[in-house]
Amino acid sequence: MNGKDVKTEERNLPRIKPATDVIEKEDGYYIYMDMPGVAKEDLVIDLNEDEIKVSGKAEYKTPPGRKIGHVEFGGGEYFRSFTVSHQVDKERIKGSLVNGVLELHLPKAEKAMPRKIEIQQG
Amino acid sequence: MVIDLSPFYGSPTPFDRLLESLWTPLSISQRGISYPPLNISEDDDAICVQCEIPGMDIGDLELTLTDSSLVIKGERKIVKGKYYRQERPTGSFQRMVNIRTAIDRDKVSAKMKDGVLEVTIPKSEENKPKKISIEAS
Repeated sequence: MNGKDVKTEERNLPRIKPATDVIEKEDGYYIYMDMPGVAKEDLVIDLNEDEIKVSGKAEYKTPPGRKIGHVEFGGGEYFRSFTVSHQVDKERIKGSLVNGVLELHLPKAEKAMPRKIEIQQG
Repeated sequence: MVIDLSPFYGSPTPFDRLLESLWTPLSISQRGISYPPLNISEDDDAICVQCEIPGMDIGDLELTLTDSSLVIKGERKIVKGKYYRQERPTGSFQRMVNIRTAIDRDKVSAKMKDGVLEVTIPKSEENKPKKISIEAS
């Protein structure tokens, strides 16, 4: 009975597309995603070929005996996927989750870095 | 004669208005909805205010408590770089919660976990419902 209850709760969680910033800096691309309420253990990042899939779950449990007065947010299943450019060095992608924001650093591959071409005098 | 059917001229159609409503401005101050989102709950002992503010450190937040209100203030800073996509809100925000019960101001606690701020405001002792025992004589 208890297990059944947990399942229905999971199904009721709405799917949320996390707000995302994609920024290019000198050392590569940065992706920032707002995922409030998601703990490190509940976050999954999958890299498959050229696609990054990020999913996480936030759940808020109301302790018994507490009355809810006003609600503006709730738990949810965050999901978003991105296609990674060929310029990115896929081996060195790093992710960190701090204060509910996931930061993905996608460094540019060496060959995509801007280079100066030397001119030889003949 | 030119017949212009483009949406740039004339009165906006319902469809235009729908598109406009889907487009949320990036600056917090321009948003129609209050930021940050709050949940308020209470039990017999305390009022609990939960607030979704990802990316903020508890030290960067300014929490002010008066007898009748709690003010949450802060600023979401912008990261420098070339933006390809910007959906996360930036800018200063402030939100006020009115409190209508007597509270124990010295025992208020706040904690931040995974981008969710939780402020617990204990209700003062004298305001709690008390059971009065009636002695039958």
